[in-house]
Amino acid sequence: MPRWGMVIDLNKCTGCGECVAACKVENNVAIVGPEESANERTMLWMNILTTYEGEYPDVKVRHMPMLCMHCENPPCTKVCPVRATYLNEDGIVAQVFPQCIGCRYCQAACPYTVKSFNWYKPEWPEEMKKAVNPDVSVRPDGVVEKCTFCIHRLQKAKEQAAAEKRELQPGDYIPACVECCPTKAIYFGDFDDPKSEVNKLKRNPRAFQVLEDLGTEPKVYYLSEVE
Amino acid sequence: MKTKRIFLIGILMLASLAIAFVNADKRNIQPIAYNHNKHVEENDMECLDCHVYAEENAQASIPNIEDCIVCHEEAVTESESESTLLSYIQENKVIPWRQVYVVPDYAYFSHRRHVKLGELDCTICHGDVGRFAEPISEPFVEPVMDWCMDCHEEKNVSNDCYACHR
Ligand code: HEC
Ligand code: HEC
Ligand code: HEC
Ligand code: HEC
Ligand code: HEC
Repeated sequence: MPRWGMVIDLNKCTGCGECVAACKVENNVAIVGPEESANERTMLWMNILTTYEGEYPDVKVRHMPMLCMHCENPPCTKVCPVRATYLNEDGIVAQVFPQCIGCRYCQAACPYTVKSFNWYKPEWPEEMKKAVNPDVSVRPDGVVEKCTFCIHRLQKAKEQAAAEKRELQPGDYIPACVECCPTKAIYFGDFDDPKSEVNKLKRNPRAFQVLEDLGTEPKVYYLSEVE
Repeated sequence: MKTKRIFLIGILMLASLAIAFVNADKRNIQPIAYNHNKHVEENDMECLDCHVYAEENAQASIPNIEDCIVCHEEAVTESESESTLLSYIQENKVIPWRQVYVVPDYAYFSHRRHVKLGELDCTICHGDVGRFAEPISEPFVEPVMDWCMDCHEEKNVSNDCYACHR
């Protein structure tokens, strides 16, 4: 069984935010107004965590794209009372939207704070309605959502491979953020495949996981920045 | 005066009921009384002649004027339904077919997967459409989740939520 995962090279990441925008458009993530945003109700499946180190004028700015870590040992799935979220056979932490009752336990349990709650019925400005991606659902209000590793792309890729009577190959399935990164800082693949690029990268001495002490075993790795 | 008014209202109510009844009986929700039987059975057309993407795409596609014009540039019958079709063609207007089989946006259903890869016949899911003389106004089987899962179970296909949900 594949274990889909990601490695983000912070040496290459410039913090441009292309992945954030690509993700938002690809996945029909609702647009939230400035007031609600100020109330921490911004909806993003991928966000850039910006940190500042040192004192002025010697400030070092660091960027870190944050998304669902698709933990092998996810804390969020254990608290869901209706099994709307669970670790699926491909190693993806699934979120089944119509199954979600909006209790938000999973959102509270996530140490990476990457889950969003739909406080409002999503609405798009008239000019943007045609840009809604038909391959992805539009979530109603009252449900929790998060990165799905672009599951709709995996569903299509599997079908395409089956149509060509072959196994899924590296590159057949990549999420939108990976595709759009202008510096190619994001790698994606199957950790279960000993030959995959991500498998080699995760053994790189620079590799780390966020809050690895928690034992959540994230499947998103980072390669630390070196000067 | 008052009884007369009540009487009138009563008649109006009866009349609207009668109209509703007749409409419910016909149940035709399509803009043209399209006849599958005449095309498929009587004129040997294949499903894929009109639903051209059923083997290649998720959507089978419902044909429109550009597909009908091949044979209906001029009237081939004297039927009223065909003259409605011809007026759409002459005015170059899209026929507003109502799609009867619908799954919600959060579920992935693909015709290619079922028709081409799964080698399932259209009739299993849509009934013997080729013999339908009336346009399709209600589904042969409601495409609900239990139905999908029962067949998957039987055919040993994945029933992981993330096989279908998105
Ligand atoms: C000459 C073109 C033509 C052929 C051939 C044809 N169809 Fe259709 N089909 C249509 C049109 C037009 C509609 C829309 C009107 C209606 O719903 O009856 C339609 C509608 C349908 C629908 C309903 C779609 C929906 O959700 O509203 C199904 C199912 C369908 N066809 C199946 C078939 C099958 C199965 C065959 C082969 C046995 C077939 N069709 C052959 C033209 C065709
Ligand atoms: C496994 C069941 C199944 C089979 C087999 C199947 N269909 Fe469908 N069909 C569906 C479902 C479910 C929908 C609703 C899809 C949606 O909402 O996207 C549908 C929708 C349609 C539609 C209307 C929407 C569209 O996709 O354009 C047409 C036309 C249609 N089918 C024709 C066909 C024809 C022709 C065949 C055979 C070649 C066929 N179907 C075989 C289940 C099936
Ligand atoms: C390959 C040729 C062909 C195509 C394409 C075709 N038709 Fe026809 N159609 C016929 C023929 C032949 C008849 C006459 C059937 C008869 O009366 O025997 C007919 C008859 C009809 C009638 C009259 C039926 C009746 O009740 O008398 C309608 C309405 C019609 N077609 C609609 C359509 C529509 C809508 C399309 C496009 C989706 C279409 N046809 C595409 C060949 C075609
Ligand atoms: C009559 C039987 C039948 C019905 C009904 C049916 N399916 Fe399927 N489905 C199959 C078969 C057979 C396959 C495997 C096709 C193949 O060989 O690739 C399949 C495969 C699939 C797959 C790909 C699974 C994978 O392994 O990745 C999806 C997704 C799917 N179906 C969705 C649906 C949905 C959604 C519905 C209901 C709207 C549905 N199916 C109804 C028979 C069915
Ligand atoms: C074979 C495809 C398939 C699989 C597997 C599947 N679903 Fe569904 N699901 C659907 C379709 C199609 C619908 C929409 C039709 C309907 O409402 O039944 C749906 C609808 C739903 C709904 C809304 C039902 C309603 O009445 O509004 C819930 C909740 C749901 N699914 C939960 C799940 C969960 C949880 C799993 C995993 C255990 C799952 N589904 C697996 C295809 C599937």
